[in-house]
Amino acid sequence: MTTTLTTPTTATPARRASRPRRPRSRRSNVLTLGMVAILVYFLFPLFWLVVAATKNTGDLFSTFGLWLGHDFSLVSNIRETFTHNHGEYARWMANTLVYATVSAVGASALATFAGYGFARYTFRGRGALLGLVLGTIMVPTTALAIPTYLLFSKAGLVNTPWAVILPSLVSPFGLFLMWVYARDAVSDSLLEAARIDGAGELAIFFRVVLRSLGPGFVTVLLFTLVATWNNYFLPLIMLNDPGYYPITVGLASWSAQAVGGSGANADLLACVVTGSLLSIIPLIAAFVLLQRYWQSGLSAGAVKE
Amino acid sequence: MSRKVSHWRLAAALAASVLALSACSGTAAKTTASAGPIGQADIDKAMTTPTTLTFWTWVPNIAQEVALFEKKYPAVKINVVNAGQGADQYTKLRTALKAGSGAPDLAQVEFQYIPTFSITKSLVDLRPYGADANKSKFVDWTWGQVTGPNGEIFAYPQDTGPMGMVYRADLFAKYKIDVPKTWDEFAAAARKLHAADGKVYLTDMAANETGAWHGLMWQAGSKPYTVNGTTVGLAVNDTASKKVADYWGGLAKEGVVATDPDFTDTWFQGLNSGKYAAWLTAAWGPVFLGGSAKSTAGKWKAAPLPQWDAGSNVSGNWGGSTTAVIKGTANPIAAAKFAEFLNSDPESAKMFNTVQNFFPATTALLADPSFAAQKSEFFGGQQLNQLFGQIGDTVNKGWQWPPFLDQSNQDWTETVGKALADKADAAGATDQWQQRVTSYAKDQGFTVNAG
Amino acid sequence: MTAKRAGYVFVAPFLVLFLLLFMFPLGYAAYLSLFKDQLVGGTVFAGLANYTRALSDPQLLQGAGRVGLFFLIQVPIMLLISLAAALAIDSGLLRAARVFRLGVFLPYAVPSVVAALMWGYLYGPSFGPLARFGFDPLTDTLMLPALGNIVTWEFAGYNMIILYAALRTVPAERYEAAAVDGAGPWRTAWSIKIPALRPALLLCLVFSVIGSFQLFAEPNLVQRLAPNVINAAYTPNLYAYSLAFTSQQVNYAAAVSFLLGLVILVVSYAVLYTANRSRR
Repeated sequence: MTTTLTTPTTATPARRASRPRRPRSRRSNVLTLGMVAILVYFLFPLFWLVVAATKNTGDLFSTFGLWLGHDFSLVSNIRETFTHNHGEYARWMANTLVYATVSAVGASALATFAGYGFARYTFRGRGALLGLVLGTIMVPTTALAIPTYLLFSKAGLVNTPWAVILPSLVSPFGLFLMWVYARDAVSDSLLEAARIDGAGELAIFFRVVLRSLGPGFVTVLLFTLVATWNNYFLPLIMLNDPGYYPITVGLASWSAQAVGGSGANADLLACVVTGSLLSIIPLIAAFVLLQRYWQSGLSAGAVKE
Repeated sequence: MSRKVSHWRLAAALAASVLALSACSGTAAKTTASAGPIGQADIDKAMTTPTTLTFWTWVPNIAQEVALFEKKYPAVKINVVNAGQGADQYTKLRTALKAGSGAPDLAQVEFQYIPTFSITKSLVDLRPYGADANKSKFVDWTWGQVTGPNGEIFAYPQDTGPMGMVYRADLFAKYKIDVPKTWDEFAAAARKLHAADGKVYLTDMAANETGAWHGLMWQAGSKPYTVNGTTVGLAVNDTASKKVADYWGGLAKEGVVATDPDFTDTWFQGLNSGKYAAWLTAAWGPVFLGGSAKSTAGKWKAAPLPQWDAGSNVSGNWGGSTTAVIKGTANPIAAAKFAEFLNSDPESAKMFNTVQNFFPATTALLADPSFAAQKSEFFGGQQLNQLFGQIGDTVNKGWQWPPFLDQSNQDWTETVGKALADKADAAGATDQWQQRVTSYAKDQGFTVNAG
Repeated sequence: MTAKRAGYVFVAPFLVLFLLLFMFPLGYAAYLSLFKDQLVGGTVFAGLANYTRALSDPQLLQGAGRVGLFFLIQVPIMLLISLAAALAIDSGLLRAARVFRLGVFLPYAVPSVVAALMWGYLYGPSFGPLARFGFDPLTDTLMLPALGNIVTWEFAGYNMIILYAALRTVPAERYEAAAVDGAGPWRTAWSIKIPALRPALLLCLVFSVIGSFQLFAEPNLVQRLAPNVINAAYTPNLYAYSLAFTSQQVNYAAAVSFLLGLVILVVSYAVLYTANRSRR
C-alpha cells in the first residue's frame, strides 16, 4: 500500500488501464454536433479577431466582419504594431512577460508553502486565518485601489514594476487550491515515515512533499499566470509611464489614442486589433503545451479517494 | 478563535491610522516661491543649472518643439511622458497630487480643466516668472481662461478650437441643400435631407459629447458656471441652455439628426460612409477628418456655425490645451520658462500648427499672412485657417468653467444626453442636470448661487 | 522545530505579504470611509454618515438590483453550459474530446480588454455582423443580456474545467457498479456524475456570486460604446470607481465598496447554507 501512495503519479496509469468505463465504439454524432455548436460560439469572436488583423483600417470599417477584406495586410499590420512609437509594443510584451512569470512563480510558491502549512499542521488561529484570507476574495478590488495606491506611493513604489508584481504575489484562490490539494495529495504515512527517519520539517517539505504537490503547483501557476497576464485595473492605476505598461493597459491606451487626438492616429486602430491578437497567442500556446500537466495534476489528487 | 481575529484587526487598524495621518498631512500644499517677481539673475542661474523636468502630455510628436527649447537651454532636459489622454491623465494627476508624490513638473491641461486643478491649489502662479509680459502674445479670451480669480496666471495657452461647421459639399449638392446660415435653416435642411434619404442625417449630435455641447451653449450666450473662489454660480438650465437643449431635443425626437456616441468605431464608419452630411466641430476637426476619413478626401467644405439670429456672428470654443506648472515641483523657474517658451516662442508655436496641425492661440501666428493663405487639399483647396481665424475672433468672451467639470459632464450625460438618446424631453432634463450639479457643489462645501 | 512552530513558518511568508498588501489597505479604506474630503473645507470626520447615505442612495440600490438580476439569470445559464460541456467531454461519446476541452477553455485566456474589443465590434449598431440581422444589443433593454453574454463567453470554459477536473476524480468503482446495472451514458451522467459534482458546482456558484456582484470590467469597457445606457452607477462596483475617480468622493466610494463586500458575504453564505440544507 505504501508503495502505491509514494508514487501517486505512476499509480494513475495503472488504475486508468483498469477502468472499464470507456466503451470506445459508441460515439454519439448528435452530441458531437451539439458540442461543435457550442465550440463555434466560443471560437467565432477569436475568428473575427484573426480576420480583422488581416485588414487595414479602411477595410475594418467597410467590409463584412467575418470574412477577409480587399487587401491582405497582416504582415504590414504586424510590422506597424511592432514599430509604432519606437517599438513600444515589444516593450509592453516584455513587461507583461516579466510581471506575469515573476508573479506566477512567486504566488504559486507562496501559496504552496502556505497551503501545505494550513493543510498539514494545526496551530492556534488556523481556522480564523484561513477564513480571513478566503474571505478577502469577496472584497471588491476598487475598494483597495486608492488606499493601496496611497500606501505604495508612501513607500515610493508607484510607477515601478513592483507596484504590479507585489499585489499579484498574494493569491487567496491559489492558497485555497493548494490547501485542498495538500490535504488530499500528501499522505500521513509518508510524513510519518520521514519524521521517524529524523528529517526536519522543512527538509521533509522540499524533499518529499513537493513532488506530490507538483501538479497542483502547476495548476496554480497557470491560473495566476493568466490572472496577472490579463490584469488591467491594477496596472492602470499604479503606472504612469507607458514604458512600464503591460499589454492590456498599452492596448487600451492605443485604443484611446486612436479615437481621440488629432486624427493622425486613426491608423492605430489596425494596430490595436493586431496587437490584441498577438497578445493572446503566448497564453494560448502555454495552455496547449501545459495541458498535459494540469490535467494529470487535477486527477492525480484522486488517488486518496 | 474570534479573539485572534480581533487582535489582527486592531493591529491593522492602528497601523493604518498611523499611516493615514502621515499621508493626510503630506498632501497639504507646499509653500513655494513668494509672490514677488523672480530676478533675472535667478532665472539665468536656473536655466544654466543641469535640470530634468518631467512633462506629462499626450500631444503626439511634441519632441520636435521640445528640441527647440533644449537647443536654446542645453542645461535643461525635458522628459516627455504620455500618461494618458485627457480624463485618464487628469485622474492620474489628481491621484498623484493626493498622494503627495509622483506628480510631474508640468502637465498639459485643457482650458476646461484649469479650475479643477486651481481649486485644489495644484497649479503654480506664473506671475513671479514673468507671465504678465506675455499677455499680448495670446488671443484675449484664451488669456482670460488661464487667469485666476485674483489675477493669477495658471498656464500658457497652446492651441484653441473655435467652432464651425464642416459639411460634405457633394452630399449637399446631391440633395440640393443650401449651406444653412441660421439654426432655423439648419433644422429645415435636416428635415429635408432625412426625408430624401432615411439613412443619411444632416449631422450627429452625439449624446455623450459634452465638449461640443458646451461649445454650442457658449455660442448661444449661456453662462452656466460662474466661479469666484469658493462661491460658484450654477445656471446650467438658464434660458440659453434651455434653448439649445430644446432645439436639439426636438430634432432628435423627430429623428432627423443622429445621436450616436462620437469617437467610436461606428462613428468613424458613419463619417466614412456618408451617414453624416455635416459635423459641428472645432478648428482641429478638418485635420481629424484627414486622418480618419481618408476615403472622403476633397468632398468637404467648411463654414461658420449657423446662428441663432440672422446676421449675427458668434461662436463657441471646443477644446484647446495649455501647459501648466504643477505645485510641488522642485524646479519652478525652469518649468515656468519652459512652458512660456513652448507656447509663445514664434518658431515653436508655428510648429504646433505645421506638425501637429493645432489651431494657434498666439496672435502673431494668426495674423501671419502665410498662415491664413494655406489651402487644404482635403477641403478642396479651401483656406481653412483664414475661416477659423475669423471664427476665433467671434468666440464669446467671459465664459467660465466649474471646478468640478468631470462631475458636471457625467451629470449631463446621464440627464440631457440620455434624453437626447431616448428622444425624450431634453430641455426638461437640463433642470435635472442643474439639480445634480447643485447638490454636488453644496456637498463639496461650495457656496452655491443657483441661477 | 516542533510541528506546531513549523505550521507558522510555512504560512508566514504568505501571511506577511497578505497583511501588508490586503489588510493594511483594507484598514486604511475603512478609516477613509469614516471621513469626508471636500473640495472646499478639507477633510472632516463623518462617522457613519457615508454608510447611511449609501443605504438610501437610489443609484446604489438600483445598481445592486441590477447585479442581483444579472446573477439570477446569467449564472444558471453559464453553469448549465459549463456542466453540459464538462459532462459531454467526460462521457467518452465525443470525437476529439481534447479539442473541445481546449476550445471551450480558450476564451479564459483572453483579457477583458480584448474581449470587450471583440464583442464591442460584433455588437456594433450599424456595421457589426449582428446588426445585419437587425439586432442591436447596445440598448437599455438588451444591455444587461449583452454583458451577460460576454461574461458567459469569458468564464464558461473556466467553470467547465473545474467541473471536468472534479469529474475525473470520481472513482471507477461507481462506474463499474453502474455498468453492471446496465446504465447507459445518459443515466450514468444523471445518477452518478451530477451528484458527484455537487461540491464543485457549489464552488463555481460561490465564485460566480462574487464575480457577478463585483461586475466592473465589462461594463467599464463597453461604456464608451453606449455611454447613455451604461451610466456611472450601472453596477455598484462601477459606482465606487466613478465616485473615487470622477467625482473625487473617495470616502464615500470606500463606504460603498465595504457595503458591497458585505452584500457579497451575505449572499455567499446564503448560497452555502441553502446548499447544505437541501442536502439533508
